[in-house]
Amino acid sequence: MIEIQGITKKYDRRIYALNGINASLKERVTTLIGRNGAGKTTLIRILSTQLFPTSGTATIEGLDILRETKRVRNIISSIPQESQLIGILSPLEQMQLYLMARGFSAQQAREESKDALDQLELYDFRNAPSDTLSGGMKRKVFVAMALAAKSPVIFLDEPTTGLDPLSRIEVWSSIKRLTSKIILTTHYMEEAQELSNEVMVIDQGNIITHGPVGSLLSTFDGKMRAEKLDGDEFDIKIANVAIKYIEKDRVDEFIKKGYDIKRINLDDIFLSKGVMLES
Amino acid sequence: MNPKFILYFAWYYGFFVILRGPSYLVASLSLPLALLFIVTIFAHGSLLAISFAIAGGPIAIVAANSINGAADAAFFRIQIRIQDLYVATNITSQDYMFALSLSYLVFSLPGIVLYGVLGAYLKVFSLGSALPIIGVLVLLTLTVSNLAFIIAGLLKHIRNVWGITAILSIIMTVLPPTFYPYTDLPMNLIYVLSISPVTPAAVLVQGIVGKEPLLYSMLLILLLETVILTLLGRKFIRWRE
Repeated sequence: MIEIQGITKKYDRRIYALNGINASLKERVTTLIGRNGAGKTTLIRILSTQLFPTSGTATIEGLDILRETKRVRNIISSIPQESQLIGILSPLEQMQLYLMARGFSAQQAREESKDALDQLELYDFRNAPSDTLSGGMKRKVFVAMALAAKSPVIFLDEPTTGLDPLSRIEVWSSIKRLTSKIILTTHYMEEAQELSNEVMVIDQGNIITHGPVGSLLSTFDGKMRAEKLDGDEFDIKIANVAIKYIEKDRVDEFIKKGYDIKRINLDDIFLSKGVMLES
Repeated sequence: MNPKFILYFAWYYGFFVILRGPSYLVASLSLPLALLFIVTIFAHGSLLAISFAIAGGPIAIVAANSINGAADAAFFRIQIRIQDLYVATNITSQDYMFALSLSYLVFSLPGIVLYGVLGAYLKVFSLGSALPIIGVLVLLTLTVSNLAFIIAGLLKHIRNVWGITAILSIIMTVLPPTFYPYTDLPMNLIYVLSISPVTPAAVLVQGIVGKEPLLYSMLLILLLETVILTLLGRKFIRWRE
């Protein structure tokens, strides 16, 4: 379990990236969602001991991230959002180095790396200079690192950004096979819905909402989303798109008015909280 | 301390880089070899002048490769964020810095061997001088790469790093008595130039090969600089921000 206790992060120029966040992340897979700059990456970097909070702290499986950093690092793996491979080294070499940094022996690191690369269909590229891989393949190598590390807690910051649909499914299936606790960030609602047991929505350094996916969506039970460009009736208007949440028995009425009808999904949690995802 | 990680990192990032990107190796050898060529022409083949240029060659190669580490360190931290990946593991900032420093030393090995062969052929280096020279080169790698980590830590944008390292590389290798006898300079100036770790290293090597008097105070300066720059490097590497 991860307990976040009043974490604040203030960067230069007095900008608050996180504004006294408190939360208990109890489920196996938690997804942090929010716009760019909402504070998701800052929170992940603090929890995974890469960044000091300005105030507050957190515990991971009972270990304090500030006072017990070494022990925390023994049980976590973190794949940063913007990490890229060293172009001149191969995926296998870089995975081996990463696992050795985590305490694996050279032989064990090599074997685990090969297995993980195989799982993500990257085995044939294991010895190629990373510069020759596609963007999606490079991203998958990082996911393979997290898989191979087999840590009890894994932080994945936008693990599938830049991947083609097939690669995304491969990554999802690998994540699903993990038994570790996973904290991930994503821009894809579909991904959050597919993988998470709970979702935390962050905006401007604050938690907007947090809970199991089902319970968050239950507020929309019996409703559908109706959308129309320049529509007159709306609960929310984004640019020129009118969005109205309607009871299911009013679907025909809104179709006649020219509205498109859509099923409720995690996008609607965003929209209803006044937060719009950029993607 | 994770010596296995350090050694593997140095092997992969020092040795494999030579095999996969030999142009970098040629580039790192070009300045000292060009200076050796110029010295040979201007000194009309004087063995004494050439021997100073040969004694300074390994120093210049190690210093240039290590200061270029600022570009690596900044690139790894700011651009490709590999440093972040390692922060959340069991290695310490010291392991990471040692690994990078050692990789620069490994990358410098072909140049050191080339100069070693030339120096042995021209009787500049002897078997007895090899070990102390290697010791000086190791200390120089540590000091200059830590200086590189300090520079990298101070940078907010990657763009400036290549310009800064190119300038420093020239200043650090050409101004100090790397390729000429240190006794050509007033002693006071030697101590002023010792602000660059290349100066005590070059003075020591000239003493070790018997071309100039051995100045033991330079060993003290080099050791002191190693300790100070290592401590500062740890602070500036921005391991856990």
